[in-house]
Amino acid sequence: MKGKKETGKTLRRQIWEYRWIYLLGIPGLVVMFLMYYMPLRGILMAFQDYNPHLGILGSPWTGLKHFRTLFSDPKFYNMLKNTLVISGLNLLTFPVPIFLAMLLNEVRNLKFKKFIQTSIYLPHFMSWAIVVSLTFFLLSTEQGVVNKLIVMAGGEPFAFLFSTKWIYLILVVQSLWKSVGWNSIVYLAAISGIDQSLYEAAKMDGANRFQCMMKITLPSIMPTVIVMLILRMGSIISVDFEQTFLMNNPLVKSKLEVFEIFIYNNSIATGSTQYSYTTAVGLFKSVVNTALVCLTNWITSRRGYEGVM
Amino acid sequence: MNRKGKDKMGMRLRENIYQAVLWFILLILAATMLVPFLYVLMLSFTDASAYVAGAFNLWPKKFSLAAYGLILKGSGFLNALKSTLIITVIGTPLSLFLNAGLAYCLSKPIPGKSFLNKYVMFTMLFSAGMVPNFMNIKALHLLDNYLACILPAACGAWSIMVMRSFFQSLPAELEEAAMIDGCGQLRIFGVIVLPLSKAMLASMTLFSFVSYWNTYFNSIMYMTTTAKSTLQVYVQKVVLSSGMSSSDMVDMQSVVQNVVPQEVTRMAAVVVVILPILVIYPFLQKYFQAGMMVGAVKG
Repeated sequence: MKGKKETGKTLRRQIWEYRWIYLLGIPGLVVMFLMYYMPLRGILMAFQDYNPHLGILGSPWTGLKHFRTLFSDPKFYNMLKNTLVISGLNLLTFPVPIFLAMLLNEVRNLKFKKFIQTSIYLPHFMSWAIVVSLTFFLLSTEQGVVNKLIVMAGGEPFAFLFSTKWIYLILVVQSLWKSVGWNSIVYLAAISGIDQSLYEAAKMDGANRFQCMMKITLPSIMPTVIVMLILRMGSIISVDFEQTFLMNNPLVKSKLEVFEIFIYNNSIATGSTQYSYTTAVGLFKSVVNTALVCLTNWITSRRGYEGVM
Repeated sequence: MNRKGKDKMGMRLRENIYQAVLWFILLILAATMLVPFLYVLMLSFTDASAYVAGAFNLWPKKFSLAAYGLILKGSGFLNALKSTLIITVIGTPLSLFLNAGLAYCLSKPIPGKSFLNKYVMFTMLFSAGMVPNFMNIKALHLLDNYLACILPAACGAWSIMVMRSFFQSLPAELEEAAMIDGCGQLRIFGVIVLPLSKAMLASMTLFSFVSYWNTYFNSIMYMTTTAKSTLQVYVQKVVLSSGMSSSDMVDMQSVVQNVVPQEVTRMAAVVVVILPILVIYPFLQKYFQAGMMVGAVKG
């Protein structure tokens, strides 16, 4: 960044010089202010007993009452557990895109490679409503392919989507299906940046393909892998709202209750007046999330990688 | 000489076997991504007379477009399509304009740049939460207004950062030369910078289009009139809510008379909702790999 100010020019003149550039940026800054900064005042509700008639300025202050209620609520620990279990299970699939990228990189036929890439990136562009619909066509009791096959084989249909045993596996497979191709892009880019002479030298020394992968490819993309892993850790408190919301049903409700679902069900969905309490729940999540992102960013930059920010 | 030739042949054979195994694995993977769509597409054409509930079909024995007719006739679909079109057609260019403008602004050594960078990054770092966002939209009188689905998704710190690093990577000489020729800053942006960024803008268009087309959360949050909800909400109602609750979404009489089986209707609904993405995707796909790389390499 050029921090040096040109001598002989006042700040005002510099700003005037860039007036058209500022003009280009202002609409975006305004929309950001309206959509991200204006809502911040609503956080005050977490420290009040918010009453819509009195407004944010007129409602009585309660200090940390809602947070005390939250931390003594067994529901809170269930939500935290669900969130961590779902994120943790998703984290187990973290290496899959790395291996996928390594496989893709081995393909010599470029047309074939392109075809595979085109097909595996596609699910990334599907909404959760579509992914969940496809899951329904695969697993529902009457219309699901799996159950049709089970019935054809003489078995009894099984309600996968209503089973607390299966629900987490289904969530993880959905997320993997949707994102595995897309997540492999960054590793493919990293692999394509590796110096080819390393491979030639290794081949000269009689290294086989597997040794090349383990001793050259993997170590070379390690910085990218670590950055991606740390980024993932930063979002460990977040579970996709749309996915869990759409997969919800009365039988698996207890397993899928995460913070966002709880907030939605107790405020906007029901028109309930628990504004203050749900704001407090959301604030807790936001603060933990921000702390995790800052922490992981600090770790990455300390390790010598260019931080995310 | 002879031995060397044999070695070479052996190596080539090994390479071919290796490639064949690779192809096999990757083809299976690609199939798991594509087959669900093909299955849904095929079954959506099944004629009611060839349909047996609960039976497994891969290929409809008799083709029919009845399910599509049913969907297109129902007011549920047309309303949802209208909402989604309004959101997407206004949202995509608006979002591109806002993000590109701000990103270009941040790519220049302007006074206050570090503050503006922080201002943008903060939106990625901290969210006020669902309820404060809702109260904000309500306070702005945007509830049940399509802008409530457009504006929250219009500016994204991630897109701005990717675009900014792209603009920074452009050669400065071109802009300097234009400046010497007396070209204004806005003209430079419009005539030189934007045309140079076509690939990146194309991938951003795709991302933005998809994110607006897939609007679900903002619709259920902020749109109170059922007729104003988006296609994703429609598809959820048709496919995922069981029994009669989906009856208002498609033509009631046909359902009662069982002209079109429910399963086929559901699949046709999925097809019409993803069709635009499937159509636009192959055209923009070649750009987004190039566009993504800019952001990816930096990360």
